[in-house]
Amino acid sequence: MQLQYFLLIAAALFGIGIYGLVNSRNAIRVLMSIELMLNAVNLNLVAFSNYLDPQEIKGQVFGVFVITVAAAEAAVGLAIVLAIYRNRDTVDMEQFNLLKW
Amino acid sequence: MLIAPIFAQTAWWIPLYPFVGMALSLLWSPAVIRRTGPRPAGYVNLIMSFTALVHALLALCVLWQQPAIDLSVSWLQVAGFEISLTLEISSLTIAAILVITGLNFLAQLYGVGYLEMDWGWARLFSLLGLFEAGMCGLALCDSLFFSYVILEILTLGTYLLIGVWYNQPLVVTGARDAFLTKRIGDLFLLMGVLAIYPLAGSWNYDDLATWAATAEVNPTLIALIGLALLAGPMGKCAQFPLHLWLDEAMEGPYPSTILRNSVVVGTGAWVLIKLMPVLTLSPVVSAVTIAVGVVTAVGGSLIAIAQIDIKRALSYSVSAYMGLVFIAVGTQQVEAAFFLLLIHALSMALLVMSTGSIVLNNITQDLTQLGGLWRRRPISGLSYLIGAAGLTALPPLGGFWALVKLADGLWSTYPLLVGVLLLVNGLTSLSLMREFCLIFTGAPQQMTVRSPENIWLITLPMTITLGLVLHAPLILLNLGLLPDWLTLNRSLAFLLVASTMVGGTVGALLYLRPGKRQPVQLPWRSVQDLLAYDFYTPRLYRASVVFGVDVLSRITDWFDRYFVDGIVNFVGLASLFGGETLKYSNSGQTWFYVLTITVGLAAIASLMSWGFITHLFGTLIH
Repeated sequence: MQLQYFLLIAAALFGIGIYGLVNSRNAIRVLMSIELMLNAVNLNLVAFSNYLDPQEIKGQVFGVFVITVAAAEAAVGLAIVLAIYRNRDTVDMEQFNLLKW
Repeated sequence: MLIAPIFAQTAWWIPLYPFVGMALSLLWSPAVIRRTGPRPAGYVNLIMSFTALVHALLALCVLWQQPAIDLSVSWLQVAGFEISLTLEISSLTIAAILVITGLNFLAQLYGVGYLEMDWGWARLFSLLGLFEAGMCGLALCDSLFFSYVILEILTLGTYLLIGVWYNQPLVVTGARDAFLTKRIGDLFLLMGVLAIYPLAGSWNYDDLATWAATAEVNPTLIALIGLALLAGPMGKCAQFPLHLWLDEAMEGPYPSTILRNSVVVGTGAWVLIKLMPVLTLSPVVSAVTIAVGVVTAVGGSLIAIAQIDIKRALSYSVSAYMGLVFIAVGTQQVEAAFFLLLIHALSMALLVMSTGSIVLNNITQDLTQLGGLWRRRPISGLSYLIGAAGLTALPPLGGFWALVKLADGLWSTYPLLVGVLLLVNGLTSLSLMREFCLIFTGAPQQMTVRSPENIWLITLPMTITLGLVLHAPLILLNLGLLPDWLTLNRSLAFLLVASTMVGGTVGALLYLRPGKRQPVQLPWRSVQDLLAYDFYTPRLYRASVVFGVDVLSRITDWFDRYFVDGIVNFVGLASLFGGETLKYSNSGQTWFYVLTITVGLAAIASLMSWGFITHLFGTLIH
């Protein structure tokens, strides 16, 4: 019954990430929430790989890929935040509502 | 003599002559031939009418005492159904054509004089030609279906003919009412025409008569069909309650009024007489025919007395006499009905021509503004008197013989109807005498101080008609068509003459007495108004049928405009509104989009794994 606990922890982490994602006013914190969610996914992958696929550990391979992609994504995300910051002098998400109806 | 039968064989050409005249007349419309004026339109029509008249006369000479010639042309042949145009060329139909073409010729000659100051000859004369062609066709036609076709064409013709001077508002309403009222009757007739085909299997009058002789049908069914067939002639003959149109049709030009009052109203009666074998199948229909005739005859003659417009006074007498024809048909007296139609056509044409001659150069049609014309207008006055004598029962003129024949036929079976006949005859004598006294006797009034007799074009047709009225009994006597005096009920004849005398004397006493001049007042003012306003028929129409149709059409219009259109428009409006409101879901906030994605994913995930979740919870609980 170990796997469920891992999964529950990962789900909680993912929920916290979502909460942070939809609730943060700071764009950097949004990116951090995304990282949190990706890490929750990684936790899932590793747990599955450990309990269900101990021979081929494909989950861990996936996890490595996710970490790499997450790093790249965070870099591009920060670049976007910087680009917005340069134009609008703020990283407040509530100021970024230009593209509405 | 070799060539003679050809006239009978080619009698079907007769309707074609006036038809050609109609087409040719239109050339002189003000928009086509612009330079030389409209008169040739009238002359062409006169020539064509005269040709038709001569042809009919020659054909009658050939056909006299000869069997009828039947011609038949297939008009339409579709799967299992054939409509053929059947013509019957007999002495009776040719005689009817002779009356029609003769009166048309005279009326058109009258029109040439009467419409001197009018430029609209092409339209008027082409319509007169259309009427002549239609009526000749109707007389020849031996098929109920084609009778209906011609009646409808004539209804349209009536609309156009009344509406000749369409810049007058009363003309427009009169033409409208004439068209719609006659149309309603015609539509009921169409129902009857369509319903009788499955029963009789033919529309030829002969076949219908043969069928009716041995038919055994549901009495309710045949009563309904009979009533529908009756409704057409009721509208055509201006019978109650479809009579208002004839009153309003008096807005049309006088030459057409001559025709309408004498011949056109007879078209309905002609069809009615031909349908008599079918109508007699149901006692209900016979009773209704008689009832309609009685009500119209009494009502019409009463109303005629209370009119102050000379044209309208005569038009109600027309309704009354057509009512007598209905009585004759309802009591199965075909000969009396034909006789009455002929006599009425001649006498009424003479009366209308005479009054038209008065109206043309006294301008007013108001009887209370006319007077004292006898000395200045002897020919018109004599014509009026002879026409009146020819219409009512005054021997030796035709009306007497027709009414005596009718009364004789009624006496043994419906003695009460003889009373109606006496009453109508008396009342008509009274109204005709009243009109005569108001126009021709007394002191000249302002409108009649200077009133010359008309030009020959007016007077000649009038005097020819006068001669026809005078000679009609002689001609009929020579042809052996008059009722036999020896077998007739002489006391009835005496009663009829007495009723004419009483009516005429009362009229003369009321309007000739120097002390008591017009306007005569009845002791009961409301009754006088009731009659003068034609039982308030326009109000009755407006309160019943017109009101109902109007309300219904308004409701339908409202329903269409707001409900049916509303549903479709609501769909459009709803999608517009949806777009307008749903666009606010694009809040522009990235978080909100993320939230939407998350909720959507969660919803899809829970939907897809619903079974798994319930299973999981189930295992967790137990």
